[in-house]
Amino acid sequence: MLSHAEASENFIADAERTDWHDETLWFVRAKRDKASKVLPEWEALREHASQVKDHTLANLGDYLVAFEAKAKANGIHVHWAADAVEHNAIVHQIIAAQGSKVLVKSKSMLTEECHLNDYLAEKGIEVVDTDLGERIVQFRNEAPSHIVLPAIHLKKEDVGETFHEHLGTPKGNKDPQFLTEAARQHLRGHFLASEVAITGVNFAIAETGEFVVCTNEGNADMGAHLAKVHIACMGIEKIIPKRADLAVFLRLLARSATGQLITTYSSHFHKPREGQEMHIVLLDNGRTRQLADPKYKNSLKCIRCAACFNTCPVYRRSGGHSYHQPVAGPIGSILAPNIDKKANADLPFASTLCGSCSNVCPVKINIHEQLWFWRQDLMAAGLAPVGKSFGMKMMAYTLSNPAIYRMGGSLMRRFSSLLNSSMNPWYKQREMPQAPKESFQEWYKKR
Amino acid sequence: MSAREQILGKIGPLAEVKHPGAFHGASEDFDFKASLEVVGARVVSPEELERLFPDRQRFEKTLDGLSLAEVEVLEIDGEFGVAENGAIWLTEEALPHRVAPFICQHLVIHVQKIVPNMHAAYMELTNQTTGFGLFLAGPSKTADIEQSLVIGAHGARSLTVVIHA
Repeated sequence: MLSHAEASENFIADAERTDWHDETLWFVRAKRDKASKVLPEWEALREHASQVKDHTLANLGDYLVAFEAKAKANGIHVHWAADAVEHNAIVHQIIAAQGSKVLVKSKSMLTEECHLNDYLAEKGIEVVDTDLGERIVQFRNEAPSHIVLPAIHLKKEDVGETFHEHLGTPKGNKDPQFLTEAARQHLRGHFLASEVAITGVNFAIAETGEFVVCTNEGNADMGAHLAKVHIACMGIEKIIPKRADLAVFLRLLARSATGQLITTYSSHFHKPREGQEMHIVLLDNGRTRQLADPKYKNSLKCIRCAACFNTCPVYRRSGGHSYHQPVAGPIGSILAPNIDKKANADLPFASTLCGSCSNVCPVKINIHEQLWFWRQDLMAAGLAPVGKSFGMKMMAYTLSNPAIYRMGGSLMRRFSSLLNSSMNPWYKQREMPQAPKESFQEWYKKR
Repeated sequence: MSAREQILGKIGPLAEVKHPGAFHGASEDFDFKASLEVVGARVVSPEELERLFPDRQRFEKTLDGLSLAEVEVLEIDGEFGVAENGAIWLTEEALPHRVAPFICQHLVIHVQKIVPNMHAAYMELTNQTTGFGLFLAGPSKTADIEQSLVIGAHGARSLTVVIHA
């Protein structure tokens, strides 16, 4: 697997596309600014949401139990899964009982985290992703590159080509309106035929046992309301205490994500419809481990709006696939090492630590600080790249020895071409400044 | 040990943090009609509605969502609208079927009552026990292809609202 830096190098090889990606996401960030600034209470909303989430995490066990009891009383089947393997087995069992071979699924990063599609494919069950962006990347055998805008790495020409191949649209047609209509017709067939629908969960309410799913396309609802069996998959951190708390979270979510006033559909599933079976799978998969660590606990407050992606100068210029994780961007970089430290040791370093992610986060997660905590933990665990550990040690040694520091400076000034070469990764894509003839100290001594 | 016991067992005691309670200080100065236009809905008078959709239909309750697959223009009643974002609260009691507002090609909603913001909206829902309810704001949309807004992804291609408040 390529590291973030290596994968980014491939991504930015196409300068024009990189600029387009950068500008498009910045445009989404600007829409977020506009939508948030019209509310004078925006900062108070963020603070309030942060406190509700802090309170929930401090009482997570109680709220999970309360949610389970209410949901069961509402006629919903509640399942618990300690890890991805258990999650997938539970989902498979429900589908197998129904005997379905094809099913529809709306966007769920959790099922990406569990690699549910691949697991079910091995069992002979086809999952049709119904979010337009997700369907596009599914056709291309790619992963979503953004949790809200799954196909943001693609141009309309790419989508036209993909649809030509898979849906038989005319070659060369790249009109978004036309291509969306083709997907509408194609997926409507699946909605009408599917007996099982899987959705994610945006919020689950302990007080009432209901859960809320937000989409703009209406795909979660088209699937869930037509299917005999609805399976909703959620991480245990999606719980909130009260229904009234939704007011704060729904106001923050869409404005932070896309700059919309609210998502088109905010559906509250409280009880199964007559004759329907409804299941909820509650997944841990490392979340309780994260909860137990005071440094990283706050990452569980995330409501998956992706505002931190859109603002991140590294994400915008490296693309979601460079993060080799279902959740990319700054938040993904602090979530992933908890699941697999070694495989994701590169991610906390894929940041400038500028702090913009923390500034836009609607639930005030200290993302940039956690990136820095992870760097320390990874260095201490010996998991940082060899070059980086060596470089850091050299740097620490040099900076703590004035004589070596002076000698090093003088050597580097004389042989500055060493720095301005491909041996120095920092030199790539950068214009390096001219080294001065003398150091500050030398200059100061002379005056 | 079951997964449930495992998970609950791993959640240790954390320092207590108080729930902040109700949110105070929310803006109330919003225009429902203007918000509806932002989310892509069309606001019309009852007369205009007559002209636009003379063939619109109301449907009886059904257990068969598929029977609504060919519905062109569906007419329903919303419980209330939210001025801040143009969302309309719908419950399954007022729908022929849960899938109805999604599966129809065009949607017409009558709104009798407007509340200023989402906080006021959830005050209205304090004793709500419906099996399914939703905030619906505008027609189905997507911007998944190059961030170009396209109306009519999977749900209704248009939303027309008649305000009687």
